[in-house]
Amino acid sequence: MKRFAVALALAAAVAAPAAAQDPKAIKPKDFPTQPIEYVVVYPAGGGMDVTARLLAKYVEKATGDKILVNNRTGGAGMVGHTYLATQAKPDGYTVGVLANLVWGDAMLRAQGKWAYTDLEPIGYLNSDALTWVGPTEGPLKGKSLKEILQVAKDKPGTIRIATVPGSMWEYLVEQVEAASGAKFLRVPYQGGGAGINALVGGNVDIAQGFFAEYRGHLDAGKVAPLAVASNERMPYLKDMPTFNEALGGKDYIWAVIRFVAVPKGTPADRKAYLAAGVRAAINDPELVAEYRKAGVYFDPALVNSTGIANDLNRYAEREREFYQQTGRLK
Amino acid sequence: MGALDGLATGFAVILTPANLYYCFLGSLVGTLVGVLPGIGPLAALALLLPVTFTLTPVAGLAMLAAIFYGAMYGGSTTSVLVNIPGEAASVVTTLDGHQLARQGRAGAALGIAALGSFIAGTASVVLLTFFAPALAAIAIRFGPPENFGLMVLGLVCTLYMITGSAVKGVLTIALGFLAAAAGIDVVNGRERFTFGSVDLTAGIELLAVVIGLFGVAEILANVEHLTRNTLVAERIRGLWPTAADWRASWMPILRGSGLGFLLGLVPGGGPVTAAFMSYAVERRIARDPSRFGKGAIEGVAGPESANNAAVGGSMIPLLSLGIPGNAVTALLLGALVIQGIQPGPLFMTQRPDLFWGVVASMYVGNVFLLVLNLPLVGLWVQLLRVPYRVLFPIVLLLSVVGTYSANKNVFDLWVMLGFGVAGYALRKLEYDLAPFVIAFVLAPLLEQSLRQALVMSPDGAMILVKRPVTAVLLVASAVLVGLMLRRKQRSEGGNA
Amino acid sequence: MAERALNVFWILLGAATAAHAWTIGLTGPSGPDSGLFPLIAGLIVAGAGAALLCLPSHRAAAPEWPRGAALARVLGVVAGLALMAGAIPYLGFAAASAVTMLVLLRTVERSSWIGSIALTVGTVAGVMWLFGHALGMPLPRGPWGW
Repeated sequence: MKRFAVALALAAAVAAPAAAQDPKAIKPKDFPTQPIEYVVVYPAGGGMDVTARLLAKYVEKATGDKILVNNRTGGAGMVGHTYLATQAKPDGYTVGVLANLVWGDAMLRAQGKWAYTDLEPIGYLNSDALTWVGPTEGPLKGKSLKEILQVAKDKPGTIRIATVPGSMWEYLVEQVEAASGAKFLRVPYQGGGAGINALVGGNVDIAQGFFAEYRGHLDAGKVAPLAVASNERMPYLKDMPTFNEALGGKDYIWAVIRFVAVPKGTPADRKAYLAAGVRAAINDPELVAEYRKAGVYFDPALVNSTGIANDLNRYAEREREFYQQTGRLK
Repeated sequence: MGALDGLATGFAVILTPANLYYCFLGSLVGTLVGVLPGIGPLAALALLLPVTFTLTPVAGLAMLAAIFYGAMYGGSTTSVLVNIPGEAASVVTTLDGHQLARQGRAGAALGIAALGSFIAGTASVVLLTFFAPALAAIAIRFGPPENFGLMVLGLVCTLYMITGSAVKGVLTIALGFLAAAAGIDVVNGRERFTFGSVDLTAGIELLAVVIGLFGVAEILANVEHLTRNTLVAERIRGLWPTAADWRASWMPILRGSGLGFLLGLVPGGGPVTAAFMSYAVERRIARDPSRFGKGAIEGVAGPESANNAAVGGSMIPLLSLGIPGNAVTALLLGALVIQGIQPGPLFMTQRPDLFWGVVASMYVGNVFLLVLNLPLVGLWVQLLRVPYRVLFPIVLLLSVVGTYSANKNVFDLWVMLGFGVAGYALRKLEYDLAPFVIAFVLAPLLEQSLRQALVMSPDGAMILVKRPVTAVLLVASAVLVGLMLRRKQRSEGGNA
Repeated sequence: MAERALNVFWILLGAATAAHAWTIGLTGPSGPDSGLFPLIAGLIVAGAGAALLCLPSHRAAAPEWPRGAALARVLGVVAGLALMAGAIPYLGFAAASAVTMLVLLRTVERSSWIGSIALTVGTVAGVMWLFGHALGMPLPRGPWGW
């Protein structure tokens, strides 16, 4: 049994030995004979795309197969998700590099045409926690999260926060408002990055995004981190509290969970091979280092999972509960 | 580091055989991608991104950037020769460029396009060199109200592109707004006009619209009148622009450079908007606007310069702040991130070799492209001698692949066909199609920024007046509309 | 005649979209909602269509619609493109475009068999190489793997 320097062990969704395995050992005969397509449902150059391309690079290194990363964009991911769930052939040549945002699409927007269970996770990549960042100039400069919430409570609707309607950016604001009585002015943007640009330009007061998106501005002193929506503090910003700490709760967990999935019905041997390839890549310390540079963290519950599909599905069901509680889903 | 020191560093970095090779390769691929109808720099960059993994950051970024502005050089080729835009930013070049080709002056059109592109491209890099940080600081403050003002100005300029019936022109613009409404409403995340189709949730693809309206419709019109053997009956007169062409073109080139640079700088702008607005400006300023659409060289010189200058402008927020203003620069950003480089405000000081290396590569790349494109003019013009019955299936196939390259979705091909048939019929009924395209491009940004501005404003629409830049843009738009109505009234009053 | 029909079409299209936009919602908590801009655009389209119907001066001057052989050629290209778009998911890109090109060359252009086949094979192979191989774009494959 091999042990790796970085103690990560991802198990395939199919009953395979818990130990990491050389994918070449279980390579099916006559597969693959053409490049494998990694589908990314967000535009090229974005966080998900970079994750997928780095993954592809290391999977190619581990397996020797050719991988083509293809961006099937549109409808904030809906077009690509629908393609993977309903149209992609489950022959092992199409693999989705997805985020947990697919669950929202499946539950709220798919209108019964497909469910998230039409996609079977085969490997966990990383998680990225949503962070609030504030300005370094102006009246809110230097304030902590609690102080800002107080201002938002005293003067409701004056603090502008950038959100992305219909997804976790909005849900987090809702949660915080409900718990603290603060009231923000929500300015809609197309993505977290656009909101951060608006913050730097003085057009909003608080932005929500991921480390990779605000890091450049942070280094230049243009944004100040306020709080992060994860279980533990981030190693790269030890002084930034979590929302749970600042607000005294345990439900302020909003993160992008990135994982790899194949359409339901992919043959078991090909699925195991693809999973082994992903596992080999994710165990490669170089890839881990690259990912860490982007500010992601590795959720221990998922890293050490023995049945990744079940564990992720449990997270999905928790999200469904949130939707039901907040009236978005019956 | 001062600009000149920086440039010295940059040239030292770029003038190595390896880096020069990749810059040249990018220029070549960019030209090719520009020439091929439909496929544009965005698709090419996405496809070639993996190639940069094995390269040094400078080489990779120089190559990708060269593809971006190289495509602006190549895009004019098919626009002029076969009236089919090489990519969205070259749509306006078809209006006058192809007419020039029909008059036997394809060489002049292509030559002016190449030279204008070079002048504008280089000028924009010069401005980048000296003013990047200051301009970036201004660009970042462009928020929803300013974007709205800019889009309104753009829309007003669209009105200037209407030839013929004003009612039909306004109708096509309104249709552009309707077509742009299909998809997801950014402001509240809900679907709109999608009628249950998943493909429509992505909205209607611009490339499919452009290739359909201008490519397929063109082919249908030519196939109908297949009495001619080749496209251009006239003898091809001279391959180079004449002195008269130069006299007419140099001011449009300068204006296009300035306009394009500014439009590339602000978020949401870019080469497409720049080309359209330059055409509208040239038409407005011209002493005899009726020449436009019939082979006015200014209608080629201005837009082709503008789209190249816009590339330089759009590199400024990317390199100075790490902020991408459009999809292509977002891709360049991703390429940097994959290489482990974090672009941001500190990029220039932390990695001067990379920052100035890329800037220097843009100077070099523009020279490569000029050298590449000018001699090619003679070659391209020979294409006009190819019998149309051989040419059109090839062009058709290339258009199909080009459209497909946008989203890899067959649905776009149906959209292309639909717009092709519609464009063919509407042309016969004397409808202008260019205003539709520019309205289609501007509408989402216009609507989104207005609604964002109203949301973020404590006092409703007053924000549009209180923010100075917005107020200026809106007043300028109103003035232009007023001038236009007065001109029309005078011309109609004169005819009565 | 065709123009009059088109103007009626504009009126109907504009009215329909305006009505649909009305149901989506015109104003929200902070200004225009999803339906406002489409409503305005739809009304403009309908209004313009009505105006064109009433103002003869804005009509196109006797558009020439294709007849006979010309019409056949135009319809042929349209059918060819439809065939291509319909066939790609089943036959793959290479086969679908080869078939379409061959049909177009033979019917619309009336080229010789040899010439058509040569041009088709050459063009399709060239395009597949350029896009599929050199640029690395994934083109749809048919049931036979290419």
